[in-house]
Amino acid sequence: MSFVLGIDIGSAQSKGVILGDQGSLGSFECASGGDFKLTAEKIREELLSQAERSVDDISRTVATGYGSKLVIFADEIKSDIVCLAKGVSSLLPSVRTAIDIGDLYTKVLRTDGHGNVHSFILSGKCAGGSGRILQVIARVLQVKVDEIGELSLKSKKRVEFNTGCAVFAETEAISRLSQEVAKEDLLAGLHRALAAQINSLAERLGVEQDVAMVGGGARDIGLIRAVKEIRGHDILVPPHPHMIAALGAALIARESLTIQD
Amino acid sequence: MGDKQSTISDIVKNYYNNYGLRAKELKGEGKQFIGYVCSLVPLEIITASGCIPFRVRGSVYEPITRGDTLLETIVCPYYRSVFDLSVKGKYDFLSGMVIPHGCDSMVRSFSAWSYGLPFSYFHFVNIPSVCDESSFEFFDSELGAFKKSLEKFTGKAITEEHLRQAIRVHNENRDKVRALYELRKTDPPLISGTELTMTLTAGSSLPIEESNDLFDQVLTGVKGRKNSLPQKGPRIFIDGACLDNIELIKLVEELGGNVVADTICNGARDHLPKTDVGGDSIEALSRRYLGKVNCPKTYRANKAGTFEGDIANRFGDIGTYAREFKADGAILYVYKYCDPFGFEVPARKAYYHSLNLPLLHLEDIYSAGTMGQLRTRVQAFLEMIG
Amino acid sequence: MAEEQKEAKPKKRTTATKAAASIGPLVKEFITGTLQAKAEGKQKVAYTFIVCHHEEIFRALDVVPVWTENFAGICGAKRDAERFLQRAESLGLSRSLCTYALCGIGFDQWREELGQMPPDAPWGGQVRPDFMISSGQILCDPRSKWYQASQQFMPDVPIYNIDLPYPLYQVNRDHREVLGYYHQYIVKQLRGLVAFLEEQTKKKMDYDRLRELVGLSDRTWNLIEETYDLRKAVPCPMGTGDAMNTMVPINFMMATQKAYDFFVDLKKELEEKIARGEGEVENEKYRLMWGGGLPAWYALNDFNYFNSKGASFPAETTYRMVAPLHEMDLPETKDPIEHLAWRWLGYWTFWYDRARKRPGSEPDVERLINRIEEYKIDGVVMHEAFSCRTWHVGLIWQLHQLSKIYKPIPVYVIGKDGKKEKGYRELPSLVLESDIIDITSYSEVDTRNKIDAFVETLESIRTSRAA
Repeated sequence: MSFVLGIDIGSAQSKGVILGDQGSLGSFECASGGDFKLTAEKIREELLSQAERSVDDISRTVATGYGSKLVIFADEIKSDIVCLAKGVSSLLPSVRTAIDIGDLYTKVLRTDGHGNVHSFILSGKCAGGSGRILQVIARVLQVKVDEIGELSLKSKKRVEFNTGCAVFAETEAISRLSQEVAKEDLLAGLHRALAAQINSLAERLGVEQDVAMVGGGARDIGLIRAVKEIRGHDILVPPHPHMIAALGAALIARESLTIQD
Repeated sequence: MGDKQSTISDIVKNYYNNYGLRAKELKGEGKQFIGYVCSLVPLEIITASGCIPFRVRGSVYEPITRGDTLLETIVCPYYRSVFDLSVKGKYDFLSGMVIPHGCDSMVRSFSAWSYGLPFSYFHFVNIPSVCDESSFEFFDSELGAFKKSLEKFTGKAITEEHLRQAIRVHNENRDKVRALYELRKTDPPLISGTELTMTLTAGSSLPIEESNDLFDQVLTGVKGRKNSLPQKGPRIFIDGACLDNIELIKLVEELGGNVVADTICNGARDHLPKTDVGGDSIEALSRRYLGKVNCPKTYRANKAGTFEGDIANRFGDIGTYAREFKADGAILYVYKYCDPFGFEVPARKAYYHSLNLPLLHLEDIYSAGTMGQLRTRVQAFLEMIG
Repeated sequence: MAEEQKEAKPKKRTTATKAAASIGPLVKEFITGTLQAKAEGKQKVAYTFIVCHHEEIFRALDVVPVWTENFAGICGAKRDAERFLQRAESLGLSRSLCTYALCGIGFDQWREELGQMPPDAPWGGQVRPDFMISSGQILCDPRSKWYQASQQFMPDVPIYNIDLPYPLYQVNRDHREVLGYYHQYIVKQLRGLVAFLEEQTKKKMDYDRLRELVGLSDRTWNLIEETYDLRKAVPCPMGTGDAMNTMVPINFMMATQKAYDFFVDLKKELEEKIARGEGEVENEKYRLMWGGGLPAWYALNDFNYFNSKGASFPAETTYRMVAPLHEMDLPETKDPIEHLAWRWLGYWTFWYDRARKRPGSEPDVERLINRIEEYKIDGVVMHEAFSCRTWHVGLIWQLHQLSKIYKPIPVYVIGKDGKKEKGYRELPSLVLESDIIDITSYSEVDTRNKIDAFVETLESIRTSRAA
């Protein structure tokens, strides 16, 4: 019996997965905070306790994400692009295009069902379209981030945003609030604007179906619906979409064990 | 606001709000519309070919959702919007598109346009960057090539007579625009800046004869008003590139100012300079578009040898308009990423200073969403000069 | 378990060739040279821009060129542009404009205000010119505006602006239809430059000397082509990192014997490296092309970072501002000015005929395809510098079009029925984002994360490539 860890230190949230020979034995998510090293330790401890294992039982650890280089106990560091492809292919092998909605960036990648990456693209500085805007708006509206999806589905009269620029979207949202629009209508409008940005990024790379959405932002059903509407086809969302990179990292860890054997 | 609804021609509003409405109708009757961007495309040649020039517009109300797939976000937001609407199919009723060398972004995105849009005719008109005698000779030839490409497209020769006729009717249009501008000279002006910009913008979506009729109608309507619609307020001059939406002007007027003159592309830059008649038509067009259309894109040599003399030459039209229309203050409105205008900001500031004309310089993106932020600055400026 | 995995991060960028390493001092030398020339007053000193095919005219009349884009680049590379950019901003110039020009204008304004060089000016500073030669060619609006803006602070310094257009590629038009009048115009513009320089220098143009200098730069063009072609070797002996140094003789020293000799030496060095089987990187795993965009001058180390991952850059499109003359079919002429004009047009229209032959192609795309094939390229890297539209608008369209018409990578994918199918895919690409000299736009962490992901993608493609 061997055990491997996949740890994904994101700019906002950090995630970890522990795998045994038979599959996942546990997963954990927490805020990344200011000290990535400490966060990584905390995730490892939590995963070990969930699986009732000790540090010595772990054969290999792969780290990924924005702060991966600070996971000092990792055996290998992999880019999140490769981990995402691995993770999403393991759960949804029909997926050819995966869209990851992260805090800093939205990433789109093309894969082949085996977890190989063919190409990828990251959202640019100006184009915006990352998950951060949702967090900002949640704070402004005083709702929890995980509630905004449900809330936006209630919208009857979506606010149309004039700009797709993330910086201006924020100020525009705030100025709309002063015009007393309903929270759900504002959120639905924001989802629409964000979905348009995401779609434009995906189109820049080229989209092959099936398409999946992963990452923290894929937990927002309002955003998923907006992307579906714009693209006009179904979007697959794996269970625990925010864990996909960590899962992929763990799968890569396990694969390299097999190769070493 | 309420009265405005009843005084500005409903047709204008309709054409402004449903931009391209008439073109779609006429396309059904077999007319061919050729889209263009920028003040530097010689429209008379398009008219002479039997096609109808159509100024392609952006929209400050619509976020860019497809354009970014093919065009960098470092392009000025105005041009990005124009491109975005075009690739979204808003102008699919056009038969062709002409893009001039108005700025680097127009040059560098020409392939994105010509490969990405479903028009059967595309042409790039190269505009000299300098104004030497040899530049005019070159431009004559370049306009000759433009004419030839349209002849190839329509299958019909463009004769000197066609060109003369087109020049005549476009000059008529400019006379009418001049007459509309004359209505702004009184205090308060008889026509608001918002109305005027809407009218001119609507006009650039119509066949030139229909545009002439529309302007006549607006002229008659405004002259027939019992009371001047705008109220007295600071008289504002707007300096900048293409403002093919009324948001900024409306903002100034809502805050109590009156926009009385401008240099904007879809205002004075497009409409006021006339083409000389009597000589060779192509040469006359070359003189108008290169010599008379005053765009920062064209380098005009410093003949004075002093900075003061140079700016007086380069921006003399601003001073003339400002005096003629008795401006109390000016707003220099520049889009982010616009190199031709951007690099002139210090010199333009100095020129306004030399005129003793208070100036508000605004850098903006092309979006109605930013008007809230501009409001406070415009308001403070109006209070300062008012 | 492994210790902290840190990539080697050389403080000073390492070059693969001795020739590239020799460039730094060379640039310093000609910056000091301009200061010296000004102090001595024997030669006139002129601001000007690269890639205008006018070096021969300058040198024939002994005018010392001050390459203002070069100076801005040096400020950037020394990470000392910010104070000049801020000064430009305080004049009312937007940070979104060409930062080379902003840096230059900020510097000029400061120098003129002080009546001497700004404190600690990089490499002694940019000299006050006797006159400025700008060029509003078909590309680069800032060029026609830059000196005009600087003139506000030195109104006694005259400007001569030459127009150097070329016909834009239009799918349904043979550019030869219009070349005649383009040529005539450029000739007149260049003759205008000669007249202006004659007046400024009080010298008469020696056309025999000009002819010799044109001959020298023609020979240099061909030599550069031959030298750079050697980079097709596997492993590649010299990468784009080095080429961002060797662009100096191409762009700043053309029409000098020194530039010619530089490439004689470089060519010899590359031949020796090839004979020894020595590559830019020790174990070449991936061959990349710098497919567009000016580099971030303060972050040239990123090329070393690519190298540390086994990635070499045998080819680039940036700053290779020459093309093989013998393939251009230039009209014969004894008049060196006429020849310069033909060479100008020949260069800019070089890929037109080839592009017309491949459906969906376009000259810039065609050039990419050509280099991909000739240099056995695995992936394309571009850089989008936010402040420069001239070289950075159109890049994503080129990648889009490239992926549409050119799919060289065989892959197996699992089809809908669960069976393996063979298909073809485009080359992967990476677009980095920052600026030429505005370091505030650059994040090393983000850039290197992107590079990591790209290299892992290349590896993924390598292992999954169908036979």
